[in-house]
Amino acid sequence: MKIDQGGEAKTTKSGVWQEFWSKEDWWAVWLGLGIVLLAYALFMGGKSISWIAVAPAKWSNFSQLGAQLSANGIRYVALLGILLVLFTIVTSFIGQRPKEFIPSFICLFVVSLVIFTAGNWDQANHYNLEPPLVALLLGLAISNLIGLPRWLDAGFRVEFYIKLGIVLLGATLPFTLIIWAGPVAILQASVVSIITFSTIFFAARKLGLDHRLAATMGAGGAVCGVSAAIAVAGAVRAKKEHPPIAISLVVFWAIILIFTLPLVSRALHLPAGVGGAWIGTSEFADAAGLAAAQSYGGLAGPDTGISGTSEQALASYTLIKVIGRDVWIGIWAFALAVIAVTKWERSEADPKAQIGQIWWRFPKFVIGFLIASLLTTLIVRGYTLGDYNKVVKPSLIAPITALRTWAFTFSFLSIGLTTRFREFTAAGARPFLAFTIGVIVNVILGYILSAHVFGHYWSVVPTH
Amino acid sequence: MGAVKSAASNKTKAECRNCACFENDPALIEETYKGLSAMSSGFGSARDEDGLCNRHSLYLSARDSCPQFTKRS
Repeated sequence: MKIDQGGEAKTTKSGVWQEFWSKEDWWAVWLGLGIVLLAYALFMGGKSISWIAVAPAKWSNFSQLGAQLSANGIRYVALLGILLVLFTIVTSFIGQRPKEFIPSFICLFVVSLVIFTAGNWDQANHYNLEPPLVALLLGLAISNLIGLPRWLDAGFRVEFYIKLGIVLLGATLPFTLIIWAGPVAILQASVVSIITFSTIFFAARKLGLDHRLAATMGAGGAVCGVSAAIAVAGAVRAKKEHPPIAISLVVFWAIILIFTLPLVSRALHLPAGVGGAWIGTSEFADAAGLAAAQSYGGLAGPDTGISGTSEQALASYTLIKVIGRDVWIGIWAFALAVIAVTKWERSEADPKAQIGQIWWRFPKFVIGFLIASLLTTLIVRGYTLGDYNKVVKPSLIAPITALRTWAFTFSFLSIGLTTRFREFTAAGARPFLAFTIGVIVNVILGYILSAHVFGHYWSVVPTH
Repeated sequence: MGAVKSAASNKTKAECRNCACFENDPALIEETYKGLSAMSSGFGSARDEDGLCNRHSLYLSARDSCPQFTKRS
């Protein structure tokens, strides 16, 4: 919880336990695992959370849609009520004002329901109405063409929703998949991360940019987007003006790649798992990549000729992005901090490279993702395939998947609603050039590794 | 060279976190760095407790320190 000490600079309280209720990562773990455990408890008692985990079903005309909405209206209101209570508690702990969060989240929920419903129209794929991309475009249009008051941002917590969704995603992925494909994901992501970082870093240095700006941009392009850029900026003691340059570049390219990677994957007819792996390797931020992966997965089917399933696209994306890239941010930060204090120019401050940051910066939501996956795998282990499809899937997995989709939709819409292009710092020609060279290398290398070198893994990723 | 220290040194008194020149409130960081919340967050673990030094115009760790440390009143 934030405090204002001495009427001067604003800082946060620190302490070993403080992090557990002041960071979005831990709240995603508590809430995500709480939902999963509740679902398991009800399932073991012969019940299900499916009533509250309501989601739009496929529809083909307005009379069907009207009947569906009137039959489930009370369930949507109940879902909104429960999410509102839970999220208001969470965001209060991290410092948002409930009077700002509540109206903002109600708006977010209503628009998400419209997008979720539109995405279930049986002609949606025909008109390219993939819900993640619609959410993103709609959000961008509202925030940049119409404009929203700044206080409404209280409810547009992109990272919290995406982390919660990833924890819930863990419950729908077999732990054996993580064991089976994890090493391949780490190998593929490491190769691309190291080469992309080096490309951006050395291109930036060649263009005469500062070491610390080069490192901040390199991490943004190679590891996990804006989160990596801000983490490395702190680790190497960047100048105050460095992070916004990296943030602008990452967001600019991430938004372009959200649309182009699924488009090119479709043109190449990549299997859903391969497309997801490519997006996981070459997209920057978690939320941006999930929007692209979910969009591409949604295209799988006989109509498009794309083989595989939507779950395969999400599984391979998550393995590469979360297990292959995100979890290493602390190590990147530590390694660059050591280089900064030993090799680069000394700052006016007295710098230290502390090994503890490997843990301090670790994306803790990954712990929830792994625990959720392990729990599901243990529960499902005793069922035959027939029983799994007849009992476990509709009562346990499908409701968690529905809640996961809600969380992702909130996040995708929030990306658009909080991306105000006019507020971004102009990066300048040299940073733009250095970063763009890295993007090109990253995308080409990501394609080669995902489709050719490891394509046989990603095209057959097993899911529940 | 700066020493590679362990997390055990958390309670060092002359750290930036206790300096009058240092600000790391997550909402303030999000406000200062427009676009941070669009694809990341000021409240995430990766940012740790980093913040802004208004004396040196740096973005750095709350665990750093410098000879100009000014204890917060």
